[in-house]
Amino acid sequence: MADAPASDPAFGLETIQLDLPPLAAAFSRRLHDAGVPMTPERPADLARALTLVRPVTRRRLYFTARSVLVSDLAHARAFDAVFDSIFGDRPREGSEHSDDARTAPAPPDERPRSEHRTSPGGSAQRDPRAHAAPAPPREGDADEDGVAVDVPLAMASDEELLAGKSFDALEPHELAQLYRLMSRLELATPLRRTRRRERGRRGQHVDMRRTLRAGMRTAGEPIRLARRRRRVARRRLVMLCDISGSMEPYARAYLQFLTCAAGSGPHAEAFVFATRLTRLTRALAGRHPERALQRAAAAAPDWSSGTRIGDALKEFNDRHGRRGMARGAVVVILSDGWERGDPMVVGREMERLARLAHRIVWVNPRVGANEFSVRAGGMVAALPHCDALVSGHSLHALGEVADAIGAPSWDRRDAPAAGSGAQPAAELDDEQEPWASATPVPGSSVAMPSGHGPSRGNTTPGWLTDDGR
Amino acid sequence: MSPPEVTGEAAGEVRRLVPDVETLAQRLAGVDYLVDEGLATSIFLSLRLPQPLLLEGEAGVGKTEAARSLAAVLDTPLIRLQCYEGIDAAEALYEWNYPRQLLSIRLADSSGSTLREEDLFGSGYLIRRPLLRALEHPGPRPAVLLIDEIDRADDDFEAFLLELLAEATVTIPELGAITATHPPVIVLTSNRTRDLHDAVKRRCLYHWIDYPSARREVEIVRRRVKGASETLAVQVADAVSRMRDSDVQKPPGIAEAIDWLAALSLLGVERLDAAAVNLTLGSVLKYDEDQEVIRAAGLEQLVHGGG
Repeated sequence: MADAPASDPAFGLETIQLDLPPLAAAFSRRLHDAGVPMTPERPADLARALTLVRPVTRRRLYFTARSVLVSDLAHARAFDAVFDSIFGDRPREGSEHSDDARTAPAPPDERPRSEHRTSPGGSAQRDPRAHAAPAPPREGDADEDGVAVDVPLAMASDEELLAGKSFDALEPHELAQLYRLMSRLELATPLRRTRRRERGRRGQHVDMRRTLRAGMRTAGEPIRLARRRRRVARRRLVMLCDISGSMEPYARAYLQFLTCAAGSGPHAEAFVFATRLTRLTRALAGRHPERALQRAAAAAPDWSSGTRIGDALKEFNDRHGRRGMARGAVVVILSDGWERGDPMVVGREMERLARLAHRIVWVNPRVGANEFSVRAGGMVAALPHCDALVSGHSLHALGEVADAIGAPSWDRRDAPAAGSGAQPAAELDDEQEPWASATPVPGSSVAMPSGHGPSRGNTTPGWLTDDGR
Repeated sequence: MSPPEVTGEAAGEVRRLVPDVETLAQRLAGVDYLVDEGLATSIFLSLRLPQPLLLEGEAGVGKTEAARSLAAVLDTPLIRLQCYEGIDAAEALYEWNYPRQLLSIRLADSSGSTLREEDLFGSGYLIRRPLLRALEHPGPRPAVLLIDEIDRADDDFEAFLLELLAEATVTIPELGAITATHPPVIVLTSNRTRDLHDAVKRRCLYHWIDYPSARREVEIVRRRVKGASETLAVQVADAVSRMRDSDVQKPPGIAEAIDWLAALSLLGVERLDAAAVNLTLGSVLKYDEDQEVIRAAGLEQLVHGGG
C-alpha cells in the first residue's frame, strides 16, 4: 500500500526474492498437474508480479496470481481449487465473487479423469455392448442393414461391406478400420466471401501497391493495373453430437466422425450433449485419433444419460452461437431427436439457431429405417428449421452427410414445394457417384432411404412439406 | 522477456501516477470507472510489469471502457483498433500513400530531378494506422492501445500481433524494425466467439470481467447518469439483476443499465413502476423474445421482486 517501490526498489526486491521463485514454481507445478496450461516463463512472471504487488492480503495474492497464471475462464475453477489447497480458503467477502459461479460457464476439460470411467472411449466397457448391438432392434434398423450389406451390386471387398454396415452393428475392430475410411470423406463447407483480399487478375479492386511497384519499372508510369479480389473461404462447420442413451450404438462412430471433422481444418467446432453441452474442439485436436477420442470421452461427463436437446441447443446458442460461432456457419446436429424435455424448447432454440446459421443439417440414424416417420417429439419440433435431414447411419450414408454439408446454398427459401423433393437431389447425382453402388430400398416414399434411394439427395424438402408445414 | 522493472522516463511517469493498486483504483474512480480488486490488480500489473492485458467478459460489462478510463487516468491518448474479419497490416499498421508517391514521380519526371526509391518510401509517404501510431507516440507517458474484439479478426492477424505484444516492435519491410520509445499500454478485449491462440494468451495477463454486485452497479450507473435519483438507480439495478437471472437470451450488461436509467430520467420518471418499464423496455432488452419473456413473468414482479 504505502510502500513506494520507487523510493527503494532494491530493498523490496531482495526481501521477497529469497522465497518467491520456489513458491511460484511449486504453485505453477501444482496448477499444471491440475490441468491449467503452464509455460516455463509463467512462474517467473508471477514472481515478478508479486514483487510489484505486495500481497498484503490473501485476496490480493489470489488476484495477482490469477491474472498472471490463468488465461482462460475455463481454467479459473481449477485454479481456485489449487489456490485454496495451498493458501487455504480465500476469503469470499464482497458479493462480486460469489457471482463467479453463476456466470462462469462450466469448464469442460478440467475435471479429474477418474470420474468418467463409463465413457465409451475406454473401449473395454463398451465392447460387449457393441457386440450385442444388433440384437435389440431399435426401429428396425437391424434388418434394414442386412439388406444394405447384402446388396449384390456392391463389390465384395471388406471396405465396401464396412461402408454399408450400420454403425450400431459394428464390431470394435471395425470401428478402428472405419476411422481410416472416414478420414477420406471430404467435409467441405460452402464458400463465403471474406473481407480479406488477394491478388487476382480479374479482381474488382486496384492494388495500388503492386501497380506502383510495377510502375517504377516503366518510369513511374502505371501501365498495367494490378488487381485484387475478395478472397473466399470455407464456412465454419459446427457439429453437435447427441451422446445420450438412445444414441449410444452410434456414439462412438459419430465421435470418430467428429474427430475427422475437427481435424479437417481450423474452421470446425465439435460439441457433444446429453444433459449438458460439452465443447470438444480442443480435446479432438491432435494427430492421434485414438488419444483424441479418449480425451473427448473424459471431457464429457454425461455419456449415455438422458437427452435434453432443447437445453443443449439453448446453451449452445447462448454461450457460443449468439457470440458468433454459428453466424454464417453450417451446423450439423447428430441426434435421433428423442427429447426428454419440452419439445417446445427444441423448436424455439432451433428457430434461433436457424436465424444465425447458414445451413442446418440434421443427421438422424433412425431415418435409415424403412418405416421411419417423424415421431420423436424433438425431431418434429426441429424439422421446420432444418435445411436437410439425412440418415448417416453407415459410412455410405455419411457420404450423404458430407454432401449435405457442402450443398450449395439453395436453402430454406428456395426449398422446392411439396412433391418435388427429388428434384434437387438429381443435380447432385454426379458428385455422389462413389456412393451410388447400391440399389434403392423399397418403400422409401417417406423416409430418406439410407443413402441409396432415388431421392437420396440428402434432404427432405418435399418430405418436410408433407409433414411439417 | 522484458526486464524485471522497466526503467526510463515513461516507466517513471507511470510509477509516479500509479504507485500501487489502491491508488490506481482511486484514480479510475476519479474518472467514473469503478473497479473491483481483481480488475484493479490486473490493470496495475499490466501497467507495471508491463504486459498486455486481455479482458474478456459478457457484452456491456465495460471492457472497452476500462481502456478508455485507463487512458484518462494516464492522461494519454487512447488509440483504438477495432478488429474485424479480414483486417490486415495495411489497415492496422501502415499503408504507403500511393497517390502521393505517384504524384512525386510525375513531378520529378517533369522537373527533371532524380528520385530514388528510398525517397519514395520515406516517412513522408507513410500513412500511420493505429498500431504504428501507438508505437510512435512521443510520450512522456505511454499511449493506451486498445485492440478491441480481437476474436473478430482472423487467426492470421493474431500471429501478426505477436511481435507487437511481446516486444513493442513492428517490422516494415521498407523501413526495417520500428521499436517503440514509449511502449504503449496494450489492452485487448475478446467476446470469446472463438478461442484465441495460446501464443497470444501466453503473452498477456488475463482478466474476466464479471457483472458487478448490485451495490457497485448502483454506484456505477449513478456516476454515469448525472442527476438520477438514488431510488431510481437502486430500482434499475435490482430490475436488471433480475433480468440477468431470468431466461433471457442476451442478459443486459452495465451499458444497458446505464442506457435504461438515462432513458428513465429523461422521461422524468421518479420511481420505477410497471408502466414506466413497459415504455422503456426497449432500451434494456434488445430482443423481442426477451421482452416477451420479461412481460410474461410480469413487469410488476420485475420492479418489486419477490413472488
